Amino acid sequence: MKMALQMAFKNLIGAGLRTWLNVSVLSFCFIVIVFYNGFLNGWQKQGRLDAMNWEFAQGQLYHADYDPYDVFTIQDAHGSLPEGESQHLTPVLIQQATLYPNGRMNPILIKGIPLDQKVINLPIDLLAKSTADIPVFIGKRMAESAKLSEGDQVLLRWRDQYGTYDAANITIAGIFDTEVATIDQGQIWLTLDKLWKMTGLTDEATLYIADSQYQPQPISGWNFQSLNSLLKDFESAVQAERIGSMVIYLVLLGIGLLAIFDTQVLSVFRRQREIGTYIALGMTKNQVLKIFTVEGGMYSIFAGIVGMVIGAPLFYYTATQGINIGSSAEGMGVRMANIIYPAFGPGLVTGTLLVLVFSAKLVSFLPARKISKMNPVNALKGKLS
Amino acid sequence: MSEKIIITENLVKRFPVGDGEFTALNNINLSFEKGEFSGIIGPSGSGKTTLLNIIGSLDSPTEGSATVLGHRISDLSHKESAFLRNMHIGFIFQVYNLLPVYTVFENVEFALILQKRSATERKKAVMQALEWVGLENMADKKPSKLSGGEGQRVAIARAMVKRPELVLADEPTANLDAKNAHAILKTMKTLNKELNTTFLFSTHDEKVMDYLNRLVRLEDGEVDKDDIVQPKYMV
Ligand SMILES: Nc1ncnc2c1ncn2[C@@H]1O[C@H](COP(=O)(O)OP(=O)(O)O)[C@@H](O)[C@H]1O
Ligand SMILES: [Mg+2]
Repeated sequence: MKMALQMAFKNLIGAGLRTWLNVSVLSFCFIVIVFYNGFLNGWQKQGRLDAMNWEFAQGQLYHADYDPYDVFTIQDAHGSLPEGESQHLTPVLIQQATLYPNGRMNPILIKGIPLDQKVINLPIDLLAKSTADIPVFIGKRMAESAKLSEGDQVLLRWRDQYGTYDAANITIAGIFDTEVATIDQGQIWLTLDKLWKMTGLTDEATLYIADSQYQPQPISGWNFQSLNSLLKDFESAVQAERIGSMVIYLVLLGIGLLAIFDTQVLSVFRRQREIGTYIALGMTKNQVLKIFTVEGGMYSIFAGIVGMVIGAPLFYYTATQGINIGSSAEGMGVRMANIIYPAFGPGLVTGTLLVLVFSAKLVSFLPARKISKMNPVNALKGKLS
Repeated sequence: MSEKIIITENLVKRFPVGDGEFTALNNINLSFEKGEFSGIIGPSGSGKTTLLNIIGSLDSPTEGSATVLGHRISDLSHKESAFLRNMHIGFIFQVYNLLPVYTVFENVEFALILQKRSATERKKAVMQALEWVGLENMADKKPSKLSGGEGQRVAIARAMVKRPELVLADEPTANLDAKNAHAILKTMKTLNKELNTTFLFSTHDEKVMDYLNRLVRLEDGEVDKDDIVQPKYMV
């Protein structure tokens, strides 16, 4: 093997420009694959982490009637847990309401969460400082779309426990900044006590957020959603993107491998005398075949090295500075931060390299197989058809 | 009585041509002894190269047998014949067939790497072989930087470095001018004497014949004459 590697190395270096052409195409593949996968990894990692820190924590216990995808379930999906069952659970009450910023009608959700909650990052405790009658907290997206700023007063209409409409001016006491659009867009946050008072639904909640010590157990009328099941949609969106990106990789890889394949077909033809000489010097056909195959695999090792040299600064820069994709992703309804920090693990780099080496070896092997059928005498004459 | 290292018996070689067959060698019965400096001569197309290739185990007879260094060529597996060539047979071709990406040193060293010899052993043997052919100063050159005469001398060094029992030289002077042709023939003749290596040439070059002790003349694939001769040039 050592000899095959050394010979392949010399042959490739000796082949000059052709080698570097193949290597450039492959290293481009390498960079694109590593980069985009790193981006997806970063997106996935951040998406999970943000969702955990800002919204789901370790999971949520849903009221049996609550369906986050159906707003009509919300009005009546509330209740309270049996005595003693609410340990390590933070209640959240959700109600439908209408906001009238600048006279426009804006259907929203109002969410109440205890002032002293620690389970998610939402800094609701800032509301304690407010002296307003109904202080609320909104995200920057909500603030932007409703054109609200801190200190603004705006009319809110909601229904109490009997379905009777009630209305009052609320005060924007704070605007928070989160990457998680699903706790921001189309909703306002206030303290649970205040919402209980406004609706009369004292001690009731739509869902409970679980902390890390919570042990899920069946409670009638409530369904526990684990973090993973809550992230299922997100994970499948990432998965779909991964599969979609495969097409790009395959096309790119196809071009790179075609270049190697082409080189090999030509090599086997043009290097007949060399092959014949190897055999006359006492190499077996298999040994010669191995050299040609290793040469192909070596293209991808070179490509990996070139790709790392060129790619490393790019990977490093984007991984530390992040990629600002702006708010473009929010319209897609996918959980996606504005700035994605790609995650390039050693597994990604070596995995990509292994795929490249293996496929390059394969496409080199296929044309080189011809060597094993070669008649050494004809090869030496350079007379192969 | 010297040891016979090549024996052919009723050797026939046919090549498929179109629908039929072409008989390139017909009923060849020859033997060569250790230390001979002989040549297969004859016009172009008479079968010289074909015979050399069979003796060198690059090809095998259609009928009859060729026994080289005690091995029946047609009985050898591909691996065994590769081993035989690697250990015991050196080839010299009309075109030198040097590996272009390797230096002179590496070209000569190649056979020894195949034999899995140690680096120190290889270095010593390669430098010795380059000295035989007078190229010890060219070790680091690439073949493209060599003249034709130098290229063929590297090929001789490559064939000789492993000190094979048998060297097969197929028209080694065909691409060389007279001066270079004489130089390499003298080198080979010297090695033949000093190392007792058997040389078998294929040639139609008079200059080569002037060095040989025995001329086997082929005509249309058959042995036409087989003469022991007094070489014109000695070393
Ligand atoms: N692979 C082959 N297929 C068909 N004919 C061949 C083949 N190799 C050699 N021959 C024929 O065999 C004859 C002898 O060839 P060769 O041994 O090369 O002659 P020489 O070396 O004496 O010039 C030639 O007529 C040549 O055309
Ligand atoms: Mg010939």
